[in-house]
Amino acid sequence: MTQVMHVRGLAKRYGDVRAVDGISFEVQHASLFTILGPNGAGKTTTLEMLEGIREPDAGEITILGERMRRVTRAAKQRMGVLLQDGGFEPHLKVKEVLQLFASFFDHAVSIAEILERVSMTDKAGAQVRTLSGGQRQRMAIGAALVNDPDLVFLDEPTTGLDPQARRNIWDIVANLKSRGKTLLLTTHYMEEAETLSDHVCIMDHGKIIAEGSPLELTAGLGEETLIEFRLDDPDTQTLRQLEPCCKQIRVSGSQATLETLDLRETMARLLDWSEQTSEEFHDLRIRQPNLEDVFLAFTGRKLRE
Amino acid sequence: MRTFRALLLTEIRNYSRDWATLFFTLLFPLIFVLLFGVLMGGIGDIDQAVVGVLVTTDADFGDELIDLLLTSGVRSVKAYTDASKLGGAVEDHVVDFGLRWDGSTLHTLYDASRLQENFAFQQLAEGIAADFDLLRQGAMTPIQVQRIHAGDVEITSWFHLVLPGILAFSVLTAGLFAVSGHLTQMKERSILDRLLVTPMRPTALLVAIAAVRLVIVFLSTLITLFVGILVFGMRFDVDWLRYCIFVVCATFGTMGMGTVIALLVKRPSSAGNIANAMAMVMLFMAGVYFPIEFMPQSLQAASRAMPLTHMAEAMRYVTGVQEMGDLRFWLTSMVFAIVGLVLFPLLARYVVKPSRR
Amino acid sequence: MKDVLQLARTHVVTAFRERVTLFWFLIFPLFLLTILTLIFGQLGQEATIHFQIALINEDHAAGPESFSALIESTFVRLSAPQEDSDMPLFDLHQAPQGESASFLETELSELRRGDRAAILVIPQGFHTSVRSSFGGESSGHTLELYMTDASVTSETAAGIIEQILSGINREILIRGNAYHTEQAVEIKTEWLGQQDGKGVSYVDFILPAIILMGFFTNGLFGVPGTLLFNRDRKVLHRYWVTPVTVPRYLTGFALGHLALCVLQFALLYTLGRFAFQANVSFSNPQTILLLLLSAITFMAFGLFIAAIAKTANSGMAVANILNMPMMFLSGMFFPVAGLPTFIRIIVYANPVSYLLEGLRKSVGVQTGTLMPVQLTYLVPLAWILVSAMVASRRLRWDVDP
Repeated sequence: MTQVMHVRGLAKRYGDVRAVDGISFEVQHASLFTILGPNGAGKTTTLEMLEGIREPDAGEITILGERMRRVTRAAKQRMGVLLQDGGFEPHLKVKEVLQLFASFFDHAVSIAEILERVSMTDKAGAQVRTLSGGQRQRMAIGAALVNDPDLVFLDEPTTGLDPQARRNIWDIVANLKSRGKTLLLTTHYMEEAETLSDHVCIMDHGKIIAEGSPLELTAGLGEETLIEFRLDDPDTQTLRQLEPCCKQIRVSGSQATLETLDLRETMARLLDWSEQTSEEFHDLRIRQPNLEDVFLAFTGRKLRE
Repeated sequence: MRTFRALLLTEIRNYSRDWATLFFTLLFPLIFVLLFGVLMGGIGDIDQAVVGVLVTTDADFGDELIDLLLTSGVRSVKAYTDASKLGGAVEDHVVDFGLRWDGSTLHTLYDASRLQENFAFQQLAEGIAADFDLLRQGAMTPIQVQRIHAGDVEITSWFHLVLPGILAFSVLTAGLFAVSGHLTQMKERSILDRLLVTPMRPTALLVAIAAVRLVIVFLSTLITLFVGILVFGMRFDVDWLRYCIFVVCATFGTMGMGTVIALLVKRPSSAGNIANAMAMVMLFMAGVYFPIEFMPQSLQAASRAMPLTHMAEAMRYVTGVQEMGDLRFWLTSMVFAIVGLVLFPLLARYVVKPSRR
Repeated sequence: MKDVLQLARTHVVTAFRERVTLFWFLIFPLFLLTILTLIFGQLGQEATIHFQIALINEDHAAGPESFSALIESTFVRLSAPQEDSDMPLFDLHQAPQGESASFLETELSELRRGDRAAILVIPQGFHTSVRSSFGGESSGHTLELYMTDASVTSETAAGIIEQILSGINREILIRGNAYHTEQAVEIKTEWLGQQDGKGVSYVDFILPAIILMGFFTNGLFGVPGTLLFNRDRKVLHRYWVTPVTVPRYLTGFALGHLALCVLQFALLYTLGRFAFQANVSFSNPQTILLLLLSAITFMAFGLFIAAIAKTANSGMAVANILNMPMMFLSGMFFPVAGLPTFIRIIVYANPVSYLLEGLRKSVGVQTGTLMPVQLTYLVPLAWILVSAMVASRRLRWDVDP
């Protein structure tokens, strides 16, 4: 089957607030689907409904061909979930944690295999309380994989980890994809979303406001180029003079970003302006738009807030 | 000085909000006192005993036996005519023990399960039996014994002796947990680290903690004392000067004990648990609930090595319950004070040392 | 099934690896059993008690054949080293020659300080007085026994001295032909409330209580502690995204709890049996049933506490408040029959009282009924029911987001 998961009209209301306002999307087999959204977008609630720990008010979830309102126990047998936060018994050893989780499922792979997959073999006998943040997260991923699930949820898998640990997790994720697993990811990190995802959907105020592959989304912004630089003392009046030479200008603190469709033209005008106004700019960068910019364009907010 | 005042206020606020600790230091001893006062009120007290007696109809000297019982100082005597009813009364604890006289044999009946009290009942019964024996043969008791009470204070019950031990326990836990509990928790939560990057001197913090603890200890022991006096009618002859001096010395000494624990443990969080366990063990071994003399020799030695044993002794002394010898009292107080003082700089250093990661 | 077993295993393993839990549920009951048995197990066995006493004989003038001398020599004999290794009953302190006046003062202060248990003074003219009492001229002479009721030791020593003097009394009467041993009153001791009529050893009496105390501590502290801790630290949160359900978790938890109780029982029984020669046997069906009922009752109660407490800290605080009253107002260590009525209400409401009495009766160390028999099972069952109802309504299994 090509569709591992299908969501239609999913909704959840808290009093008057529509946390999730009727969303629909499809997750294809062996792909990595990312949900991006600022805090309060409804991302967490959506995920909780898909994980089965919250009851939807409306809508339908289809997992591996099985239709349901609330995610059933049978569906959970074939899912693996890495939660954003949660504890483990501090005095259990790593292999004991995996054995415990393995016992929850009808079918489980060997513990040795899981340990190998998340590179924790040498830590098998260590107690949870002695693990570093990265090691704990790898073990948690291992716990999410004990039943060899076809569908894996990864809720902010690398938040709070150092770059090395983050890379380890990315390797594991890439490996999962190559083995034909279907993955649903949420993240704050743009590079993570860009590097790993096949398909991205952006949520805000309970709705999906944009969807597509990272390339499609950035291309949707148009054939524009971005010129970024920093000013010592940004003066609104002076900057206004730049407006006619570009498509759009954004200022955030001491950083200015010019969007333009004609790089050469805008650059020339910029240099003229600098000479005329005696404004000096630093850290000049010219780049293509990325997901962060897409996000900003659609929601008006930064990814990481 | 301003720092000190601020620290003092923070300590007080912390304490009054941490109602679990507040409970332990103020209410716990109180519950102890009320519970044990009620439970132990009657142990070992012959004048609280109720005796059941049955004299078979053809037995001689029946009336004399009953007279003997009535004058022996027991609380009351119940007469029975049915042997099984008397037996039932003993088993149901309606009477504390029974006597059945059939003319030749005096049967003494006890409930086997009253192991802690039968000792005293047996002594009483044997005394009555001996007197009755002589009486029946018309013999006088040539040797009579008069008990002369040498103590000053009127002791109403065994519990009277226990209460000062409970006071000692309050002081012990206050000082012990001030360091191995409160301070170690501050260290574990890196609160100490944050305080130390300020100009605060560790001495100021320690004095603030000690000051608050002392106030709590005085409050708690005084409340306990007054409950004993008001609720159970006990009388104490408190030497207030020595009382205050000892409480202060002992608090410092037990804070020193807490320091030893805090310095020896690997993780600060273990310190509180170890202190708790030690306090519990000491509570049973320090001669608070039963005299040390009743323990086997090996345990007696262990008991005398425990600080709480000496604290209980001192508290009994300052509340006028038991003599101790003034010299020994001052020696004990000084030892506690010295332990506290000697360990004080070590404690200050502990406060300043950065937490291990 | 394997998830239930794994959860049970986790419960047991973590209890062992947390040193705090291990201490309170294993080491402390063992310690308590040891201490209480060592101390109370030998109450009344004079072989192990040893008193410091002083004797002042002011009646030397009466001569070595006098009653005064008889009394003195009796006590001297009782303080001499014994043939067997037992310590003599007394350590006798007597005045050095010619210093009896100041000796009493010193001894009295020793008595007040607790270094002497009792002081016996034989006053001058004692022998003559006693002799003349035979002729009915006077009623004998009184010995002075100084003691203090500030000390149980002193009370006990005084009682023992009085007993010894009573024996000497008889001796004197026999010699004076005023007393005939053949006509002596025979004294027979009967031990009631116990199946074979023999006395009950202390360890047999206290072992069921300590076992129950172990189960009680487990249920009161261990159950809400573990549960609330796991919930608040979001350990349970991680379980609920897997197929495991609350009923399965609870079953595994209960199984683990029972396993810990069995372990407690085994260790306490072994200690009691092999170190202290406990005779009591737990193998009859009623006893096993009561032990099981106890473990379940206390676990249910623990769930009740977990349901009414908001956090792990408040749960532990509640447990601490309830611990002592429930344990002591049940008859575990102290008799509760003579308590004032308003306290007795607590005793009668306390499930521990019923389980304890039922247990002691079923192993044969008690036959008296302080509680109505039918309630032995009914009251604990009622507690289980109420706890289960409250827990099923109010116990939250996950932290609210």
